Amino acid sequence: MSDRLRIAITKGRLLDKSMELFEKAGLDCGPIRDPGRRLIHSVPNYPLDAVLAKAPDVITYVERGVCDLGIVGRDTILEKGGAFYEVLDLGFGRCRFALAVKEGADFYGTYKTRRVASKYPEVTRAFFETKGMDVDIIKIEGSVELAPILGLTDAIVDIVETGATLKANGLVPIETVADVSARLIVNTASMKLYQSQINDFIARCEAELGGEA
Amino acid sequence: MKLTINTPEGTRDRLFAECQERRQVQARLTRLFRQRGYLEVSTPDTEYYDLFALSGSAIPQERMVKVWDPSGKICVMRPDSTTPIARVAATKLRTVPLPQRLYYDQTVYRANPAHNGGSREIPQCGVELIGAQGGKADLEIIVTAIDALRSCGAPRFHVELGHAGFFRDLAARLELGEEKLEEMRALIEGKNFAALNSFLAPYAGHPASAALKQLSRLFGGAEVLTRAEQLAGRTEAVDYLRTLYDELSAAGYGQYVRFDLGMVHQIDYYTGVVFRGYVEGAGDAVLSGGRYDNLVEAFGREAQATGFAVDVDAVARTLPESVLPALRCVVHYEPGYLAQALEAVDGRPAGTCELSHCTDLEASKNLARDKKAEAVLVFDKNGERMVLV
Repeated sequence: MSDRLRIAITKGRLLDKSMELFEKAGLDCGPIRDPGRRLIHSVPNYPLDAVLAKAPDVITYVERGVCDLGIVGRDTILEKGGAFYEVLDLGFGRCRFALAVKEGADFYGTYKTRRVASKYPEVTRAFFETKGMDVDIIKIEGSVELAPILGLTDAIVDIVETGATLKANGLVPIETVADVSARLIVNTASMKLYQSQINDFIARCEAELGGEA
Repeated sequence: MKLTINTPEGTRDRLFAECQERRQVQARLTRLFRQRGYLEVSTPDTEYYDLFALSGSAIPQERMVKVWDPSGKICVMRPDSTTPIARVAATKLRTVPLPQRLYYDQTVYRANPAHNGGSREIPQCGVELIGAQGGKADLEIIVTAIDALRSCGAPRFHVELGHAGFFRDLAARLELGEEKLEEMRALIEGKNFAALNSFLAPYAGHPASAALKQLSRLFGGAEVLTRAEQLAGRTEAVDYLRTLYDELSAAGYGQYVRFDLGMVHQIDYYTGVVFRGYVEGAGDAVLSGGRYDNLVEAFGREAQATGFAVDVDAVARTLPESVLPALRCVVHYEPGYLAQALEAVDGRPAGTCELSHCTDLEASKNLARDKKAEAVLVFDKNGERMVLV
C-alpha cells in the first residue's frame, strides 16, 4: 500500500458534484475530469487516487478494502447495506424515496394484501416491515411507474426528485420512505490504519460543506 | 445423473501454498498460546441452535448455518468458539480450579449474503481466560493479542482498545428508551458523524450530549483518553484504559496500542474492555475480542472471562506468498531397492524429491521431464547414480 488514499466515486451526477466539492477544497481534479483511457486517476496536488464506478460497486470496493474511501448515494447504501463507516452527508444528490400511488387511490384503506413495485426491494421490505404490513414486493428493473399503470401493483417505491415523472404518469407520492443524499464512506480498517490522512481529507470536505452537515 | 462438480457458495478448495500459509499462521499462533500456558480444547462442529440462541451469543440467527439432528432438533455449524468453550468450562471443567487458560484452533461457520465473496468457513485461533477478572487478566489477554499478530510476521499492525462501559455510562445519562439507544449505538458504531449530530441535536445542552456527539471520532493514540476526559469528565472506563495503557507502555507494548471509544459493537455481550486488531493489507479487523463476564454464568458457573480470536486466513492473506519447494529429482528404483530409494527421498528437503512409479528408466526420465525435475536418481544392482534429463 502506497501512502496515497484511493477513493471510488459513483459515476454520473454524483461525480460532477464531487469534483466541484474537491476543487473547492483545493484538489486539482483535472485528471479525473479528463480521464482518457486510464482507469485510475491521480490528483496531482493531494495524495489521492480516484476510480469511477457504478454505485453498488463503490460499496463493494470500499467494503473489501481495495478503496479506502467512497462517494455513493444513500439510496444504494440502504438497498445494499454493508460494513463500512458512513462519515459524512455531502449534501448534494438530494432526493427521497417515496411511496407513490395512482391519483385518488386509497393505499392504506383496505385489508387485502397490496402489491408494490420497486427497483429497491430491500428498501421497500424494510419500510413495510417497520409498519408491520405484509406486502408483495415485485422487483422491476426499468420504469417502475409502469407497474401501477398496467395494473400490476397498487403502488411503487422509487426515487423522487421533483415528482414530475410521477405526475406525468398520474401518480402521486403519498409518503416519504427515506431521505437520500450523497455520502462519504470509509473502509473500517483504512480509517484506523491511515487515520491522519483520512481525517485530513474528511476535514477538508467538511470545511467546504460548512454548517450544512 | 450429472455430477455436481462445483462447491457451494462461500466454500472453496485450497491448494498447496494456500494450505501452507494457513498452517504456518496456525502453527505460530498456537505455539504462542501454549507457551503462555493455554491448553487446547476442541468442540463439535455442530451444536444445538439453542446453545447460541439462548446464551446471549452475539451472532444473529440468519448468520448461523443450520443442520438438522436425527432427533429433529435444529443444530448449527459452530458460529463461534467462545460460547461452546464457555459451556465446556461451566460443565466438563466444573471441578477444575479457575482461572482456566484454554485455546482453540478450529473453523467457525457463518452464512454470508450471496455473492459478496466472503467465506462461509473461517478458520480461527483464539484464547479464553476464564475465571479471572481485573487489570492483570485484561493485560495478559491484550499483550497476547499483540504478540499473536507480531508472531505471524505482520509488518504494520496495531490493537485498538475500547470499553463497553464508556458508552453505557454516557448513554445512561441521556436516559433514552431502548430503541433510541440502539439507533444511537448504530450511528456511533458506523462513525456516521453527520447523522449522529442530527440525532443528538434535541439533547443539545445536556452534559452527556457533547461527549456522545464526539464518540465516533474518539479514536487514535493515547490523546484520545485525554479528550474523552475533557468531554465526559472522569469515568471509570477511561481511568481503567489509562491504567492499562501505562502498564502496556511500561512493558514495551505502547507502540502497538491505539484506542477507539466508539467501538460499541455487541454491547449486550461485552462487559468491559473490547479490542480489535488491524493489519495493513487486510480490509477489516483480523483479530477481535474483549471481556464477557456474563456468558459462562449462563451455563451455571459464575466465571468472569476474556479472550480473543484471530481470523487465520485474513492474517495469512497479508503475509508474503509462500513459495513451494521445486521438485529437483525423481527416484527410479529396480525391485529390491525400495529401502535405498526411500532413504534418498527422506534425506532431502521436503518436496524436492519423489519416487517414480514407472517400471523402466526411460519412462522415469520422461516423467522427470514432464514434472520439470532436473534429474533421475537411480537405484539398481549397479548402486546409486544420478541421470540428468
